[in-house]
Amino acid sequence: MSEDVTAALEQVVENVTNGVSPSEADVAQLVGSPDLIALGMAADVVRRRRHGDRVTFVQIVEAPLGAALPEGPLPAQTGELRVTGRPESDAVAVGAIRAAVACAGVVPVTGFSFADLDDLSGHNVGRLAKLLSALREAGLAQLGEVSAEGLQDPDAALALLRDSGLVAARLTLGAATGTVGLSLMRQVASWHGVGEVCRCLAPLPRVAPSPPSTGYADLRQVALARLLVDNIDSIQVDWALYGPKLAQVALTFGADDVDAVPVAGAKEQGWRRSPGEVILRNIAGAGFTAVPRNGRFEAVDVGTGSERHAGR
Amino acid sequence: MSVESIASKVRSGGRLDRAEALSLYADAPTLLLGQLADTIRRRKHPARDVTYIIDRNVNYTNVCVARCAFCAFYRPVGSDEGYVLGFDELFRKIDETLAVGGVQVLLQGGHNPDLPLEWYEDLFRAIKARYPDFKLHALSPPEILHLSRLSQEPVPAVVARLVAAGLDSVPGGGAEILVDRARRLLNCESKATADEWLSVMRTVHQAGLRSTATMMYGSVERPDERIEHLYRLRELQDETGGFTAFITWSYQPTNTELGGVEATGVEYLRTLALSRLVLDNFDNLQASWVTQGGKVGQLSLAYGANDMGSVMIEENVVRAAGAEFCMDEAEIVRNIEDAGFAPKRRTMAYDILGGPLFRERDIPRRTELAVARRSGDTHVPAELAQYPARSRPGKQQRDAVSDS
Repeated sequence: MSEDVTAALEQVVENVTNGVSPSEADVAQLVGSPDLIALGMAADVVRRRRHGDRVTFVQIVEAPLGAALPEGPLPAQTGELRVTGRPESDAVAVGAIRAAVACAGVVPVTGFSFADLDDLSGHNVGRLAKLLSALREAGLAQLGEVSAEGLQDPDAALALLRDSGLVAARLTLGAATGTVGLSLMRQVASWHGVGEVCRCLAPLPRVAPSPPSTGYADLRQVALARLLVDNIDSIQVDWALYGPKLAQVALTFGADDVDAVPVAGAKEQGWRRSPGEVILRNIAGAGFTAVPRNGRFEAVDVGTGSERHAGR
Repeated sequence: MSVESIASKVRSGGRLDRAEALSLYADAPTLLLGQLADTIRRRKHPARDVTYIIDRNVNYTNVCVARCAFCAFYRPVGSDEGYVLGFDELFRKIDETLAVGGVQVLLQGGHNPDLPLEWYEDLFRAIKARYPDFKLHALSPPEILHLSRLSQEPVPAVVARLVAAGLDSVPGGGAEILVDRARRLLNCESKATADEWLSVMRTVHQAGLRSTATMMYGSVERPDERIEHLYRLRELQDETGGFTAFITWSYQPTNTELGGVEATGVEYLRTLALSRLVLDNFDNLQASWVTQGGKVGQLSLAYGANDMGSVMIEENVVRAAGAEFCMDEAEIVRNIEDAGFAPKRRTMAYDILGGPLFRERDIPRRTELAVARRSGDTHVPAELAQYPARSRPGKQQRDAVSDS
């Protein structure tokens, strides 16, 4: 890379630092350059402006459809009981949420994707609205996710969510890169009110079919999402899909929320290597302040590691 | 001195002192460290090439008397799980390596008291007789020191004998942290003190060989001791110029006596970037994808690394401690190109051999690294009977081999 290009990128970062939104030309400069660090610096400036040094994370217990629910009270650090899988009928969906709520106590219950429920409703708006309402009444705290790629009519879908009184935990972006990925991000940025019904924007790494996305590609997506999409407050990385190390690095590239940190693990690996301790260590190690949250995105106090494990 | 003023010094080509390096390491934002490291990398490698080598990590024995507290690979003398590879097994591994375009073997192993210097000499001669152009990148400084102690010959004499037998270059293993306080805690001071490790490397360089240098961080050492490690290497490099590359990796705690937790991905990238800034007399920094995984391994290229290390083919040591990542040549090349660099195959001395080999000929894809030996394979190579054993279990094993 020539010194001229480097200087141009530094100018873009400086503009962003001074509060100037990146222009089309700036974004093209950042996207076209192999200088990943410059992209990260620009995204980090925007991220710190919105969230300071806070990083939220949620520890979840998964409840796959059809499997037995956890017995006894959920572990203290559980922020969310997540029902996973594609329901076969409205009754199965509503029944699963009712059972999960009974098991979860005060822990919020989330689950299902908008696309799966839309399929279940035969793409009938009225039926889908009724199902969403039934799920909310059954105790569903938030819809699991909405896929940006899967929305045929984004305005209608967002209006439907708004009317149902349900919020989606995250709007996901697949691993489309280059102009396709950029185009999708720009579309999301133009969706009016999306931030009111989708709590986070979650760029997802490509896992299958092979080849999987690379570390560069994953971080580019995170940073570009932060720079281009300003109508959703949080950029989220998924602990399970990114892996602890890359998820941590992504925090320095614009992400401010970590999803899907498992609760399990302490028994098998010892508490210092349990996911709850690793996420606290990773957030601090990346230079941020960890804020545990629950499935409603409310900050919760689960104590520090030493408090949680006092008496061991 | 502020972080910004130290950063300016780096940008203008100034040499960092220990206090400045520690200040950057402790206080500089990770992205700033990456930016500075990338600036130095671009200065040293303006062509945007990223190199890699096709070779194989072979561990000829896992029997070891050093008993390092961070090692999950070794087995004590007399263990049922101890092994020594036979010459034929090693030849087969070299044949497999040649078949995928490999140019050398990285041969390291435990400090086995029952393998005398003559075993190594005979092995090296046998390999060179069969594969004259194949390179032997073998025996880290503690292994050379171990052979010096076993044979009661001074290190220069041992090095001369190994070179005469075919040794081409020396890997930088066993450095861990070159500060004796940390080495005592890791129970690895007896295998080589910091001064001894550096002294063996000096001897190796004076003998005309090149070597690599390494650092295993994240176990018991303090940040200032990591910095001290880097400065000890920089000083020796100023003196001899014999190091071709530096590789750092995080301590892998699984299955070790020491236990604990692994350092994070951000800490790896910070440590790598700082290494690029301090080791201003090292041309090449390698990514440790085998400990960090492919994705963070690739990110190393933005944090100062200019080399993706080895295709490796086989690995046993960090796998024993819980890291099981694999990248074949095609995957390494994909990662290099995706990051905007041009992949170049190289030798240990960083001579460029060409572009990706898998694009020139059909090489089967590989999704996992080979192991030294299949689990449960306990056979003892027949040629061991020719070499005197030192330990009681070793002598008993020799007798059994002779009888059979």
